[in-house]
Amino acid sequence: MAALLEIRGLSAGLQGRRSVTQVVSNVDLDVQSGEILGVVGESGCGKSTLATAIMRLLTPPQVLQSGTMTMNLKDGSAYELLRLSPRALRELRWRHLSYIPQGSMNSLNPVLRVGRQMTDTLIQHGLSQAEAHERSVAALQLVNLEPRLLESYPHELSGGMRQRVIIAAAVSMRPALIVADELTTALDVVTQRQILQELTNIRDELGATIILITHDMGVVAQIADRVAVMYAGKIAELGAVNGIFEAPLHPYSQGLIGSIPRESGQRIVGLPGEAPSPWNYPTGCRFHPRCPKVFDPCSEYEPGLRTQGSGRWAACHLYDAEVVSDA
Amino acid sequence: MRDLLLVENLTQVFGGRNQTVAVDDVSFRIPAEPTIVNLVGESGSGKSTIARIILGLLRPTAGRVLYDGTDILTPDRGWNRIFRSEVQAVFQDPYSVYNPVYKAERVLKLVIRKFGLAKNKSEARVMMEEALRAVDLRPEEVLDRHPHQLSGGQRQRLMLARVYLMRPRLIIADEPVSMIDAGMRASFLNILLDFRDTHGISTLFITHDLSTAMYLGGEIIVLYQGRIMEQGETRGVMQAPQHPYAQLLISSIPTPDPRRRWEEDLSTGPLAEIELSAAMERDRCLFADRCPQVMEKCWGARPTLGPLEADAAVADSRQVACYLY
Ligand SMILES: Nc1ncnc2c1ncn2[C@@H]1O[C@H](COP(=O)(O)OP(=O)(O)OP(=O)(O)O)[C@@H](O)[C@H]1O
Ligand SMILES: Nc1ncnc2c1ncn2[C@@H]1O[C@H](COP(=O)(O)OP(=O)(O)OP(=O)(O)O)[C@@H](O)[C@H]1O
Ligand code: SF4
Ligand code: SF4
Ligand SMILES: [Mg+2]
Ligand SMILES: [Mg+2]
Repeated sequence: MAALLEIRGLSAGLQGRRSVTQVVSNVDLDVQSGEILGVVGESGCGKSTLATAIMRLLTPPQVLQSGTMTMNLKDGSAYELLRLSPRALRELRWRHLSYIPQGSMNSLNPVLRVGRQMTDTLIQHGLSQAEAHERSVAALQLVNLEPRLLESYPHELSGGMRQRVIIAAAVSMRPALIVADELTTALDVVTQRQILQELTNIRDELGATIILITHDMGVVAQIADRVAVMYAGKIAELGAVNGIFEAPLHPYSQGLIGSIPRESGQRIVGLPGEAPSPWNYPTGCRFHPRCPKVFDPCSEYEPGLRTQGSGRWAACHLYDAEVVSDA
Repeated sequence: MRDLLLVENLTQVFGGRNQTVAVDDVSFRIPAEPTIVNLVGESGSGKSTIARIILGLLRPTAGRVLYDGTDILTPDRGWNRIFRSEVQAVFQDPYSVYNPVYKAERVLKLVIRKFGLAKNKSEARVMMEEALRAVDLRPEEVLDRHPHQLSGGQRQRLMLARVYLMRPRLIIADEPVSMIDAGMRASFLNILLDFRDTHGISTLFITHDLSTAMYLGGEIIVLYQGRIMEQGETRGVMQAPQHPYAQLLISSIPTPDPRRRWEEDLSTGPLAEIELSAAMERDRCLFADRCPQVMEKCWGARPTLGPLEADAAVADSRQVACYLY
C-alpha cells in the first residue's frame, strides 16, 4: 500500500538579502497510514521548518526550495501537495490535514469563549451552527473535556486544558494527518502523559496518522511507532522505535540516546560540542566535527540516507559499502 | 555541624482578590556537607517562590530561612555581603541577566573586580580561563562574544563559570537546563556534580524534569500546591515512592525505553469534577481530589509530614505527608 505521505527531496530555506540559506535539506520520508512518527533532534535542527513545509505553511523569509510531496488518501485519491492551487490546498488542508504549531496553547483568543473559537472555523467552512456544536462536543470528548468547557474563557483553563482544547479543535474535522509540534513541552509530566495517551487513543479511534515533533526522547519512546532523527536539517536515521533505541546506527543517534540521564551515580558524557546553525552547516557529513567515529570521507562527501534493511535508514559513511571499501 | 541552609515553616501567600497560597508551611534543610537537593513539582507548585525567598528577593508571609545559622534577613551589612558571595543563583535563561553590550570577558571581569578576587590583570586572566575550562567552554571561543552570539547552552555555562569564580558554598539553580538540549544537558549536570565533589559546592536544584533530578541523585523534595508531599534520598524515592502523588508523578516520567511503556491509561474517563469550594479549601490533603486511595479523613485535615513507620524497605530519611502511613 502506498504511504499516506511520500516526501521526496524536500528542501526549505531562509531568504536572505542575496541568497537563500538552506535549513532543511533534501528530506526523503514516507509517512505510513495510521502510524505515529516521532521527529526528534536538537533545537534549531529544522524540525519546525520541516513541519511547516509539509503543511505548506512556510512564511517569509522561509522559502520552499525543491521537492515533491504526494498524499495518498484512503479513498484512492492522490494529491501532489506542492502543485495544488492555493484554493485546492486550502480545501485539502481543511478536510484532511491538521497542524498544531509549537506554542499554540497560548494562541487562543483571550476574549472569546472556547466554544466560539472552536465553532467559528467550522461554520466558516459551511457547517451549520448545530453541526459545528455537535462536532466540537465530540472532539472535546476525545480529549476528556466536559462539553460545558465550551462556555469558558481561555484564562479560566489550566495549561493542560488549553492544550486539550487546541487538540480538540485540530481533530474536529477528523483529519487523516495531524502534525503536532512540541505538543506537551510546556506541561508537567502527569498532564503530558494524559495528553499523549489521549493522542494515541485519537489515532486508534479516528485512524489518523500523526507526526509528533519533539526534542524529548522519552516522549518518543513512549508513544511513537517509528522515529526520524534529524541533525542539521537532514534526516540522520529513520526506523522502528525499538530498533532505534536499542541499536542506533548513526553516531548522532547513538550520542543522543547515550546522553539521556537514566540512573543516579552513573555518569554520562553527552554529545561534545554543539549543533551548527544553517549559516554554518559543515561540509560533507554535517555531523563530522562532533562525530566520535569520523573518518576520511566524512568531511568531504555528504552521506545519503540509505536503507539498512528491516525498515531502517541511515545517512552515514560507516554503513556505506562503497565509501568504506574505497577508504 | 550547623546546617548550611535551614528553611523553617515557610509560607508565602500572594494577595489580591484571589489569594494564592504559593508556599504552605515548608521546612527542609541542606546539610553542611556538600550535597545536591532537588526540589521538584509541577508548574505553580511554588518552586521558584521558595528560591526567591531563600535568595532574599522576597520576604515570606511567615517562616524564616537560616543560612549557616543566621537569619538571612539579618540587617548586618557585613554578613549580607558574605551571604551574597556564598549563595549564587543560576536561572533558566541567563540571557536576561547579562547586559547585552558586555562581552563575556567583561561579565567575568566584573565579578573578579567586585569581589576583589585577583591581584592583577594577568592573575584575573588566568582565573577567567580556568573558570571557563571548568565549565567546558573554550576561552578563545567565548571571551570575545556578546551574550546573543552564544548559544543557550553556552550562556548557561558562562553563568556557571561566573559562579565558579566566586566559589560559593551554595548554588540555587532554578530550571537551569530546561532550555538546553539533551546533548549539552549532561555536561551541565556533570559540572554541578564536579562542583560538589571537588569544590564542596552544594546545589538546590529546582526542576520539573524528574529525569535530571534522578541523574543528580542526592536528596529530593516533592512539592504539590505549595506543600511537601514526600522527601528523602533521590534514588530511594525514585525507586519506591510512597506518597500517591509522588507515585503518580514518577510513574508518568516518559521513560526513554520503548519496551517499558506506560501501562495504565490515565486518559480514560472524564477528568474529575471538583467543586470549586472544596478545591479552594486547604484544610485537607490537597491531593485528595485526584488520589486513587483517598479516604474520608483525607478531606478533614492536613496530613503532617512525618517519617515512615519502621519499614525496612525504605529505611532512608524518608518523610511523607499522607494518612496511609
Ligand atoms: N522565520 C525565521 N527567521 C529566521 N530564522 C529562522 C526562521 N525560522 C527558522 N529559522 C532558523 O532555522 C533553523 C531551524 O529552525 P526550526 O524552528 O525549524 O528548528 P527546530 O528544530 O524546530 O528547533 P526547536 O527545537 O528549537 O523548536 C534555526 O536556526 C532557526 O533559527
Ligand atoms: N508575584 C506573584 N504574585 C501573585 N502570585 C504569584 C506571584 N509569584 C508566584 N505566584 C503564584 O504562586 C504560585 C507558585 O508560583 P511559582 O512560580 O513559585 O511556581 P513554580 O513551581 O516555580 O512553577 P513553574 O514550574 O511554572 O516555574 C503560582 O500559583 C503563581 O501563580
Ligand atoms: S558519516 Fe562520518 S562523520 Fe558522519 S556520522 Fe558517519 S562516521 Fe560520523
Ligand atoms: S492523605 Fe489521603 S488523599 Fe492524600 S495522598 Fe494520602 S491517601 Fe491520598
Ligand atoms: Mg521547533
Ligand atoms: Mg518556577
